[in-house]
Amino acid sequence: MLAPTPLLDVAGLTRRFGGLVALNRVDFDVGTGEVVGLIGPNGSGKTTFFNVVTGIYAADEGRVVFDGRDITSWTPQAVYEAGIVRTFQRSRLCLPLSIFDNVMIGNHKRLNRGLWFNLMRRKAFCDAYEAAREEARVILGTFHPDLARRMDEAVAAFPMIQRRRIEICRALIAHPKLLLLDEPSAGMTHEETRQLMDDILEVRDRVDPSLAIVIIEHEMGVIERITDRCVVLNFGQKIAEGVYREVAGDRQVQEAYLGVE
Amino acid sequence: MDIGLFGQYVVNGVMLGMMYALVAVGFTLFFGVLDVIKFSHGDVLMVGTFAGLATYLGLQAAGVASPLVQVIGVTAMAVGSMALLGALIARYLVMPLRSAPPLNTLLITLMLGTVLREGVRLFYPEGANPKPFPRLLPADSIAFGSFTVRADSAILLLAGLAVIVALNLVINRTKLGLAIRAVAQDEETARCMGINFTLIVLVTFAIGSGVAAFAGVMNGLYYNEINFGMGLLLGVAGFSAAIIGGLGNIYGAILGGFLFAALQTIGAVALPFASAYKDVFAYAVVIAIMAWRPSGLIAEKTSERV
Amino acid sequence: MEKTRPSLLPGLAAVGAGAVFAVALLTAEQQWAVGALIAGAALASLAAWRFGLARAIGASVDAHEGVLNAAVIAAVLAVTAWFYEDHFPLLMMATVLLSATTCIGLTVQFGYAGMVNFAGASFYGVGAYTAAVVVKYTAVPHLLAIPLGGLAAAALGSLLILPMLRTKGHYTAVVTIAFAILMKTFLEVNDTLGGPQGMKIRNVTVFGWKPNTALEFGGVELSHYVVYVVAALALLVLAFGLTRRMERSWVGLALDTVRIDETAAACFGHDIARWKIVAFTWGNALAGMAGALYALMVGFIAPNNFTFGDSLILVSIILLGGIGNLWGAMLAAALVVILPEKFQIIQEYRFLLYAGLVMLILLFRPQGLLPRTLRAYVPGRA
Repeated sequence: MLAPTPLLDVAGLTRRFGGLVALNRVDFDVGTGEVVGLIGPNGSGKTTFFNVVTGIYAADEGRVVFDGRDITSWTPQAVYEAGIVRTFQRSRLCLPLSIFDNVMIGNHKRLNRGLWFNLMRRKAFCDAYEAAREEARVILGTFHPDLARRMDEAVAAFPMIQRRRIEICRALIAHPKLLLLDEPSAGMTHEETRQLMDDILEVRDRVDPSLAIVIIEHEMGVIERITDRCVVLNFGQKIAEGVYREVAGDRQVQEAYLGVE
Repeated sequence: MDIGLFGQYVVNGVMLGMMYALVAVGFTLFFGVLDVIKFSHGDVLMVGTFAGLATYLGLQAAGVASPLVQVIGVTAMAVGSMALLGALIARYLVMPLRSAPPLNTLLITLMLGTVLREGVRLFYPEGANPKPFPRLLPADSIAFGSFTVRADSAILLLAGLAVIVALNLVINRTKLGLAIRAVAQDEETARCMGINFTLIVLVTFAIGSGVAAFAGVMNGLYYNEINFGMGLLLGVAGFSAAIIGGLGNIYGAILGGFLFAALQTIGAVALPFASAYKDVFAYAVVIAIMAWRPSGLIAEKTSERV
Repeated sequence: MEKTRPSLLPGLAAVGAGAVFAVALLTAEQQWAVGALIAGAALASLAAWRFGLARAIGASVDAHEGVLNAAVIAAVLAVTAWFYEDHFPLLMMATVLLSATTCIGLTVQFGYAGMVNFAGASFYGVGAYTAAVVVKYTAVPHLLAIPLGGLAAAALGSLLILPMLRTKGHYTAVVTIAFAILMKTFLEVNDTLGGPQGMKIRNVTVFGWKPNTALEFGGVELSHYVVYVVAALALLVLAFGLTRRMERSWVGLALDTVRIDETAAACFGHDIARWKIVAFTWGNALAGMAGALYALMVGFIAPNNFTFGDSLILVSIILLGGIGNLWGAMLAAALVVILPEKFQIIQEYRFLLYAGLVMLILLFRPQGLLPRTLRAYVPGRA
């Protein structure tokens, strides 16, 4: 089968921090609707990869093409507008704000941010607000009815698994084309992780089956179950790529994880 | 401009720079170990200077007339009491706020500065008025060709230089300095290596505050007049100096101190507009430097984990 | 789930009690009477808290916001009418209203966008000096001095925008501190602006009428400060109304996001520079307008009215009231302005007392007197 142009096409991506080469000529692509696992030992450059793709760090070399546009070293804002959203390894929700507020943060590009609109056209604002609430209620409800019901409460009052769900709702509400999940299972039990993954896939199938996902994860069970394909990084370099079974059997990968004998 | 007057400006600028550097070093030390700004620093300096003045008056009353003994007593009292005060501030105001937003520490010490300042103004006898500070150093002139330096200026400059060198040796050559640097670099690891974190923090605050008190005494001996507001001005100047140098870096603080004094001196001497605008000029340049180098001239290395 | 709507009564009662207390406090002359009033008010608040009355008032305020806002305006006007010929209480009321306006501006900067401004009094002073210059040196209609004061403060503030955007944390703080010292020194040495002696503002004229002269109204002579209380109230209502709308909109959400987590904000498309510029400019404009009105009212300004210490007091008001809570800021402004004026014993010690008080608040109740609550975009339609 001839692969169509990939949604995300990364070629030769390099990022250095001083003398450390955090990413070394990494090639990486994701097709529409694909779920790709990004794995590797700690410090192998996985999160750096996300940070460079989303524009938090500039790339030193290489290019990132997304949806036919070269987005290399765009600002995080522009990358978001282009249709890539992410979650963070250390959940970065705004804890003092309500669930609804947090979800709306993700919806920023579809909200009218004009000062005149927000301050002077209150009637129109109220209509926009009601519509946004309904949308937030629906997406939160698909993850957990409790979240939809209690969306005016502060996020700080909720346990980790609910926070992860809220974070994913915040990422999904703007209808992205590509979702980057940075270790969504951190801080949760096996069972909670399994549940969360099921929710994500279910929501995706229902809302937008063409959504592509890249997931960084240490739980190999999760990777095996949900990914179509895996990419393995070690010391900033891609050392293997393929379906999980193949990759897991790869000698280099085993050495990377277990150390060379 | 004749060379004598020019020399006078240079000596004055270098003296100011020395004081600013001594104050800035404190800001930088505190920021190094705790990542906080202790804004009461300038007012601690002021309180130290007043403590020195009180010591002088006490010695006079006790009949000790030797200027040498007096100057040693005044300095020792100012430095010692402020070292203690600095450690107390660290223990009871700064450390309890470690888990709060860093701004809260800045605010609480700003407010403490106000308390110290107002405390001296209201409760020191006639504290609201400027006080004469005794002239305890010999004032003979030493001539170098056509320009002359007064002996007290020379002694003060040498003493300031000695403090900076000594501080540098302590930080870079002693076990204590090693511990301070370790804590500044990585608190957790330092703890793991058996360093008594709290103790090191308190000692650092004591050193920084003592050095500031020394600068305060220098200020008093040089200008022969002190007032309750002197700390705020020296503190803001020292803070600006530490910031333009780059927080957390002793050489940056020293550089910043002399640079700030140079700006004021240039503002007073070399610019076409009235010399009254020297502070306006100096602070405008500080703001401009912040726009140009947002984390100081010698930037600290930071990285945020995302 | 239909909840019964909380009664309007507790809210109205609280506003009424506040008005009566204000009249009593502003009237009281004897130090023991002032002391007793303050102690009584403190006890009453504590009791209200303890016995759940505070919660009833809170619920009532949430449910009937429009009516109660109108009631507060009416109460201020009623107190103004009560003191119609007494200069001093009216002057104090106007000062409170103007400080409250400034603190609303600082709340937008500090409470919403997270930009602490240690030069609040400087921007207030920029507005005041602008008004003085307009009246003394130009033919511009004097009423325009107020918007021009706001404009001047906002414009001068925009000079700080670049360093403020580029710096973080403590480095940002030094920018405003340096500006505060710079402004004060500048005012002291500039001869056109009167140097340390300051400027007098004489013969203010609005449409041929001189608001600084006593006026007659149906045969009754009113203090000229009545005009200024009403004008300051109008300015405060405008500031409060617009700021409230800002908070309860996507703008308020964006500002909060930028304050809490810049990285996350950037990853979700927030233009951080834009939001900081909006908040900083809005705050400075409010301070400038309030300062301009203050200058027109008192007719005499000097650099010593706008020191770094005064800026610290403004920051203390924000902390005392509860960071980000507009009502908290207004309440704290009233306390901080009125108490030392009425309670002469503490007048001399006010900087000391406030500084000590703020230290205690930071140590033991960092959320302030009235902690900020969650955003209600459209009150009553949760």
